[in-house]
Amino acid sequence: MRQRHLLLDPRRPWDVDKDVLDPMYRTGRRFWMLFSILGGLVVMWGAIWVYQMNWGLGITGLNRPVMWALYIVNFVYFIGIGHAGTFISAALRVLKIEWRRPISRAAETLTVFALVAAAMFPLVHLGRSWKFYWLLPIPNQRQLWPSYHSPLLWDMTAILTYLTGSILFAYIGLLPDLAMARDHTVGWRHRLYEILALGWRGTEREWANQETALNVFSYVIIPVMFSVHTIVSWDFAMALQPGWHSSIFGPYFIIGALFSGVAAVILVLALIRKAMHLDYFLRDEHFDGMGKFLLLLSFAWAYFYFNDYLVAWYGQAPVDKVLQDLFEKGWAAPLWFLMLFSNVVLPWLTLWSRRIRTSVPALFFVCVFVQIGMYIERYLIVPTTLGRNALPFDWGIYIPHLPETLITVGAFALVGFLYILFSRIIPLIPVWEVYEGQVLQGLRRIGRALIPTRAEPGE
Amino acid sequence: MAEVLLLGLFHEATSTADTIDQLRRLGLPDEMITVMSGMPYRPEMLGRPRPQRRLGRISLLGALAGCLLGLFLTVGIFLLYPLEQGGQPIVPVPPSLIILFEATMLGAMVATFVGLLLENRFPIFKSQLYDPRITEGHIGVLAQVGAALANQAESILTANGAHHLHRVDASQPPDRGHTVFWAMAAGAVLVLAIGVLLIAYDIVKVSFPTQMADQDSTAYEQGPRLAAPAEAVPIQGPVLIAGQPATEPISPTVNSLQRGQVLFGITCAVCHGQDGTGDGPLSGYFSPKPANLTGEAVQSLSDAEIFLVITQGRGLMPSLAENLSPVERWDVINYVRSLKK
Repeated sequence: MRQRHLLLDPRRPWDVDKDVLDPMYRTGRRFWMLFSILGGLVVMWGAIWVYQMNWGLGITGLNRPVMWALYIVNFVYFIGIGHAGTFISAALRVLKIEWRRPISRAAETLTVFALVAAAMFPLVHLGRSWKFYWLLPIPNQRQLWPSYHSPLLWDMTAILTYLTGSILFAYIGLLPDLAMARDHTVGWRHRLYEILALGWRGTEREWANQETALNVFSYVIIPVMFSVHTIVSWDFAMALQPGWHSSIFGPYFIIGALFSGVAAVILVLALIRKAMHLDYFLRDEHFDGMGKFLLLLSFAWAYFYFNDYLVAWYGQAPVDKVLQDLFEKGWAAPLWFLMLFSNVVLPWLTLWSRRIRTSVPALFFVCVFVQIGMYIERYLIVPTTLGRNALPFDWGIYIPHLPETLITVGAFALVGFLYILFSRIIPLIPVWEVYEGQVLQGLRRIGRALIPTRAEPGE
Repeated sequence: MAEVLLLGLFHEATSTADTIDQLRRLGLPDEMITVMSGMPYRPEMLGRPRPQRRLGRISLLGALAGCLLGLFLTVGIFLLYPLEQGGQPIVPVPPSLIILFEATMLGAMVATFVGLLLENRFPIFKSQLYDPRITEGHIGVLAQVGAALANQAESILTANGAHHLHRVDASQPPDRGHTVFWAMAAGAVLVLAIGVLLIAYDIVKVSFPTQMADQDSTAYEQGPRLAAPAEAVPIQGPVLIAGQPATEPISPTVNSLQRGQVLFGITCAVCHGQDGTGDGPLSGYFSPKPANLTGEAVQSLSDAEIFLVITQGRGLMPSLAENLSPVERWDVINYVRSLKK
């Protein structure tokens, strides 16, 4: 039982601290190789962005009628990834689910980095990126204030709120671990942590305030998280474009975001467990729980997708039929069937089995397919749907050009780069949460069996 | 009165609670004792009073402030600067609710964070009595006692198994946080300055190439528009042969001039100015400046040439073919003629 449950397997806190801190110092050849490859891709990303700013969006494949394409696909995809972290740490915290303890930090950091990558894309997509401040509620040089009639402005407000909240939420939970890192490091790291920890000593007042703050954030950030992807869906649903103008788009996008996000968190957990030797913290129980969660989200995604599909199919409006024919029989059919296979068939066939859920390579494989499936889903929604509208003279097929393809690669590299960079700077396991769980968890004998139980301190 | 700070480390909660009980019996009030730990022990585990929690109220105040900010953004701005958009209400209710929601939540979160810093007096960069072993799972008990009771308090700590006992004079230790403080202050000033500059762009002008006219892409995407060769045969739209009127001119009747004035106000005045002197609100952004339409250079052009300029654009002036129909272009030309000085 001790082997299965982290919270029943306490070790001396000093050893635990060391287990978290030691991998942060290790920067071997493999690390630097990955660091320079990803760093190079990030530099390339910046260079192409500057090139595009100089020459204009004409260098991309954007053309009538497809004016939203790969950049918007990436935007929706990364915002989606950014949903799982908050959900795991806030919702599972509110629900007092104990296995969340070691994974919440890894998930929160993924949220922040994915949001950073996502927030870049509207700017890249702007073309004249330096005009971004026209979105902020200040008047531009034509004395015009931004108009809140536009869903794009709702979007900007929601993402700014969510990004700010996610960073603060992650930081508040991080304070005790920064203090832990401060106490056990020397040199520049010590000075850095001394500043970042703000003088945390772990007094009763500090803990009480931190608990209140984390509770407030958990309850506030969950509705904000729901609002963000709903508003992203409204960017589409508010338009009279066939295939977009649907009232189910909000909840459907949220489920899709959580689905791809949870899969991404599993991928990250598997990678950091292997790379940073965190086998003590990240055990089968965590992958098992996340796998179940993923299966549940796959059911929900299929349910919402079927709803959206069925209404259009039953109505047989000419444009809807054109779109569905394109997906089922047209050039987009391979993509559409690959999406259904990755998002529905594969998870349903595999994730019911505990053996597959607890086998990290198998789960990793499934999650990679979920990423592919969800990326295709966004690709089908954005440029593919946009190529078919109510006026057949204005139909078109979007083909990505080199600049936006490379910028897409660069954005994935950016998330990876930030992650490996910060994996050496911030403790990826919330040590204090694990301690707390280990102290509160115990075994109780009922008849002949030993049952894990958890103490619930008075509210 | 000389005060002494005592810090002892304990292995677990029970001996910590015993120590605190005995210190209290010694006559030490609760607020003179501080417990430090690497995980959140509940006050009742250590027999301590519950700390006062004001943070929830601060969050609520922040939510209220955020809501007011949202109201200003959605209602206040548009009452101050009404922006008509195609017959829609100036302040649309459902979209405003979205902004109100986000602003309220942002206010709550920012206030919670700032409140956390204030309530904890963070950031603290001066040295405090502390032991790094506290984050290794030990529980620290810090007691501030008068010199008279110091020895008794110390023996209570040691009797209950305190290890690594610190005893220091409570006079304030020197502050070491200057560099960090000034760095943070400089950062705050920088952020503030950028914020002010963003809003005061009209007063403090920072020269920064933001105009499309300065981009390479204007040259790339908007090549020179040439008149069709003389022998070209038009297949649709107005005939654009240099020197010839493209469509039938309209005589400058009162009605035509009136239409021309309205169209001029919509399409031309933003650059050329309401009275055509080339000093519209955007004229400052162009070099060369928009032409003075009242002057000799423009007025000496033939009607057909002016028609060609409106249709095709010239230099930095874009083509207005999509904005003005041929008839409307003639109305504008008639109006421009009436501006002659």
